[in-house]
Amino acid sequence: MMKQTFLAAGLAASLALAGALPANSQEPYKIGVSAGLTGYAATVDRAWRDGVELAAAALNAKGGVMGRKIQVVVEDNRSEPQEAVTVYRKMLSSDKVDVFVSGCVSAGNFAAAGLLQRAKVPMMLCSILPTQAEHLVWAFSTLPPAGFEVDKRLEYLKEKTQIRKIAVLHDPTPYANLQKSVAERNAAKFGLEVVSVDQYKQDDADLSVQISKARSAGAGAILKIGLGGTTLTAAKNIKQLGADMLLLTSLEDLAVFGPVAEVLGDKFFFVASPSQVYEALPEGALKAGIKSFLDPWREKFKDRDPNWASRGWDGVMLTAAAIEKAKSFEGEKVRAAYEELSGFQGTTGIYNFRPDLHQGITENPFVLATIEGGKVKVVQ
Amino acid sequence: MTILPSTTSPDRRPFGLVGLLPWLFAAVVVGYAMVVGGYAATVVSFALIYAVFVTGLNLFMGFAAQVSFGQNAFAAIGGYLSAVLTASHGWPPLPAMLLGIAAAVLVAAIVGFPTLRLKGHYLAMGTLAIGLITYEITVEWQSVTQGYMGISGIPPIGIGPYEVTSDRGQLILLSLVVAACAFAAARIRRSRFGRALSAVAGSEEAATALGIEVARYKLLAFLLSAGFAALAGSLFVHVVGFVSPEVFGLHMVIVTFTMLYVGGIGTVAGPLVGALIVSLLPETFRAFKDYQDLAYGAVLIVLLIYAPRGLASLFSPRGRS
Repeated sequence: MMKQTFLAAGLAASLALAGALPANSQEPYKIGVSAGLTGYAATVDRAWRDGVELAAAALNAKGGVMGRKIQVVVEDNRSEPQEAVTVYRKMLSSDKVDVFVSGCVSAGNFAAAGLLQRAKVPMMLCSILPTQAEHLVWAFSTLPPAGFEVDKRLEYLKEKTQIRKIAVLHDPTPYANLQKSVAERNAAKFGLEVVSVDQYKQDDADLSVQISKARSAGAGAILKIGLGGTTLTAAKNIKQLGADMLLLTSLEDLAVFGPVAEVLGDKFFFVASPSQVYEALPEGALKAGIKSFLDPWREKFKDRDPNWASRGWDGVMLTAAAIEKAKSFEGEKVRAAYEELSGFQGTTGIYNFRPDLHQGITENPFVLATIEGGKVKVVQ
Repeated sequence: MTILPSTTSPDRRPFGLVGLLPWLFAAVVVGYAMVVGGYAATVVSFALIYAVFVTGLNLFMGFAAQVSFGQNAFAAIGGYLSAVLTASHGWPPLPAMLLGIAAAVLVAAIVGFPTLRLKGHYLAMGTLAIGLITYEITVEWQSVTQGYMGISGIPPIGIGPYEVTSDRGQLILLSLVVAACAFAAARIRRSRFGRALSAVAGSEEAATALGIEVARYKLLAFLLSAGFAALAGSLFVHVVGFVSPEVFGLHMVIVTFTMLYVGGIGTVAGPLVGALIVSLLPETFRAFKDYQDLAYGAVLIVLLIYAPRGLASLFSPRGRS
């Protein structure tokens, strides 16, 4: 029994201590990625990570940045804030990461923002920015402002339809809540009235109550804000209820939209990023910018949706541009150089950062699209 | 004539040096984290916070043999109240923490009084509902909790101008809190109250026949457990500086149950050992990437096969007998 006791204790102690050993510092410039590779953000953050790794490989093929190769360190934060703090801490103290190009788990990035501020390490994010002023100094985002996705849909309804009453259906995530607020605020500017606002949960299997309420209130269109399978649920519920309504959804993986279009046909529209409608874009700087990413992306991942990965690509390219502008790898100097990046052509649009503007996309890059005969068609 | 160990009295047999091994293990891990700092300190800090929570859970589930899947609710009440009062209303951390604990205990009294009339699976379901309801409130009551946006800018623990911000400072503080909680648990176990809980754990009917007010003792254990949970919730928000609903979700219930059973339910050292092991194991296997959970699960199974009553029970006289 004693032998068993000591064996178990020894196993526990050795496993426990081995996990906390620090890694040696490395020569390459290290980009840390805290991403929700499992959990609710997995689809988006896995694509983001792939975009970051693809960009690092492309830069390394050209010799790296200012003579240093780039090494990407990825850790799974399980889409949980506590886990995000742990992995940020690991990458800071054990992996000695120089900069972060992290995924879309907003709460995780917020929770770790104080750590990065104290360590003077900048972060380029997929998510919205932290709200604390002192944390904001070190955080930058590739995410277009929440209003852009909303405005594109409102613009279409105003210009191309007779609908003047709309409903908003959103999930409880921070980005969806921001979009909901924008819709409520901006609808009047487009001559529209929001007659119903309802929230759902990402795992809801039925939205007919919310849709019935919207129809009763006289809404002719539903602005759905949020990711995942609920878009198909909403489409099925609209059809089952026989509601004569348009469904306009937010940015999402194109793979989700095929089945939705089969249900709703020409009553379904979605916001698309430029990389998702690459073939329909006119020749120009944006198309050339997307091509530099899309060629290696398609070579490696075939027809997988490029949207989230393209912003991960942008995150790395912005970082490389900041290093070259700063002529330094030092965190404080790279941070300052981010703030001076202006007119940077990315795959999502043109980034114009300023000291008072850390969300670089300032012009609406989105289009409104639908699916006709299995093909994506831009309508606005 | 042989006198068998009583089910209502704590075991008073000397446990010698072997009994100190769980504490030695904990001291080595905490000491290592203190020397190394950084990542190791963060992981061990979270483990110590969980140890406070699990010590409370152990009072209710280990000492009184009741079931609660809803202790995360009290951690959320303590954590959120502390966060809102300090970040939004400028309160100093200590009074905010105390109020958070008091509020959690009050809520535990209000919901515990009717809920604890339930037994077995019904009690489990009732307490699970408490946790789920609280989670929904933290998501939906956005004017106070900020929903999934969470609350940032929560100050670290401190008194006046003295704030505990360094890794090592936080580790020392958390170690002291855990030591105080473990000491309290040990004292409770050997007290009249602890013996009454032990009797309730053995048989509620027999305890009633002995004159023990079963409902009152169950409620008291529930309140104490809620107080520990609220303390852990408050410590979490002040150590991390941020709180959002996911922190106190169902994940917390699963992790803390695992800690309790791996460490040793009903033992004093079990919650601390379980919290350290269950927090450190996933980090040990982080290099396995996609196979991390597989390796973690396999080791948990091995540990529970060879130590079915928990690791700490291997070192206690009752566990070895």
